[in-house]
Amino acid sequence: MPQTEKLPASFRDPSGFLFSRSGILYRQINRAYSMDYARLMDSGLYAKLTKLGLLIPHAESDQAPAESASAFKVIQPERVPFISYPYEWSFSQLKDAALATLSIQKHALKLGMSLKDASAYNIQFARGKATLIDTLSFEIYKEGEPWIAYKQFCQHFLAPLALMSFRDARLNQLLRVYIDGVPLDLAGALLPAKTKFNFGLLTHIHIHAGAQKKYSDNIVAPRKGAMSKQALTGLIESLEATIKKLTWKPAGTEWGDYYKNTNYADSAFEHKKQLVKEWTAEKNPNLVWDLGGNTGVFSREAASSGAFTVSFDIDPAAVEQNYRIVKKQKEQNILPLVLDLTNPSPAIGWDNAERDSFGARGPADMALALAVIHHLAISNNVPLTQLAEFFAARCKWLVIEFVPKSDSQVKRLLASREDIFPNYVREGFESAFSERFDIRKAESVRDSERTLYLMERKY
Amino acid sequence: MHYTPHFYLDPGTGSFIIQIAIAALLGLGVALRASWGSIKKLFGIKPKEEDDDSDNASN
Repeated sequence: MPQTEKLPASFRDPSGFLFSRSGILYRQINRAYSMDYARLMDSGLYAKLTKLGLLIPHAESDQAPAESASAFKVIQPERVPFISYPYEWSFSQLKDAALATLSIQKHALKLGMSLKDASAYNIQFARGKATLIDTLSFEIYKEGEPWIAYKQFCQHFLAPLALMSFRDARLNQLLRVYIDGVPLDLAGALLPAKTKFNFGLLTHIHIHAGAQKKYSDNIVAPRKGAMSKQALTGLIESLEATIKKLTWKPAGTEWGDYYKNTNYADSAFEHKKQLVKEWTAEKNPNLVWDLGGNTGVFSREAASSGAFTVSFDIDPAAVEQNYRIVKKQKEQNILPLVLDLTNPSPAIGWDNAERDSFGARGPADMALALAVIHHLAISNNVPLTQLAEFFAARCKWLVIEFVPKSDSQVKRLLASREDIFPNYVREGFESAFSERFDIRKAESVRDSERTLYLMERKY
Repeated sequence: MHYTPHFYLDPGTGSFIIQIAIAALLGLGVALRASWGSIKKLFGIKPKEEDDDSDNASN
């Protein structure tokens, strides 16, 4: 029998869990959840949500369960091409994930169900849209019951969105520290006082945080029937209205208008686009990582070959712009994400195993490292041999651009510091990377001093 | 009568109590809107169709 492995991220909910077998992902549904599952499927909710792209579709499977004693059914959910986390999303991605969650809850309530959790980690971007991937998040709604997931929703979505909108878009990084969302007292303390004049933020964050503190030692359960369905609908609509009003305009950050500030010619830019397009078409990768993808210009060239392309960039403004393009053009195979390559997403959660590190979510078939090497080798002092190791662990094919010291961008980086990089020359770069890669192609980028390489990992 | 808790997540006592208070207020709004709709209907004003199949990506 093929090896069965329980996934370490789905241990909390007794309704079921994920496991993989022969490289295929399955979800075991436990008997305790059978009634709720039947309602999800029979009420029309599943059909409705999957039609709207709000819930991941699945097929019932005849695979043997991973733990037969508790098993009711095994389902095979459609696989998401790349799992991402809320601390890697731009403002609008987190906002769309929040609105998707509320939209799902509204549809569920209409059909007699309710979300029993509202974790940002249950949302993934599938076919360009925020989609719920946890089929077991629904329960049969009991009239009179409050929304169990209210606290989680406020911590995972409302608090970080308010902080990003009113303080700084980089504050979603708090989610990397607080796996169950930003504590509301912390959000309240960091938000400007004027947010107390915003009804939604006043109630759902400030007063909510106060109530949590006040009742922290209290074991009184609310009375049954305390909350009508109408009241619950009002609560969901209030959260929705509050979140819709939160905005962020990307401006004034590092790369926001990088392409406008570079001095290299349009012809060089077009030549690079053409090479990326040609080489991805030739190697036909399934998964491409564009490392330092800015607003996704080259990601789109790679994606045109049909590859699913994750476009990583350190700048939330560039990622925001990239995501807005994805939405506008309804692109299904580009996923923009915020990532600092010099300090990529670590593994977090219980036993450091709930959320995977950046590296563990690879390797990709192909990586693009365009106009990025000087930032890693010079700004961050990473030796070239270590860079070669890093890329060899992440991809089979590497499209990498060497930017020499004579380039104005590198001159700028070296302007205010000592040049301690004698190896940072074309020959040094090639010899360092040749230890881990075979150089298949090397093309001088037209009207520039840069070189674009196509390399294949040796082993 | 109180709930027999069946939640796998801790909803938080404070979060529970405050949402009931907030929602009671917000539920009034929903009720008012509903009755306003029927008053308008009485005068022959058609209610706006709710866009049930709207995209979640609204901005």
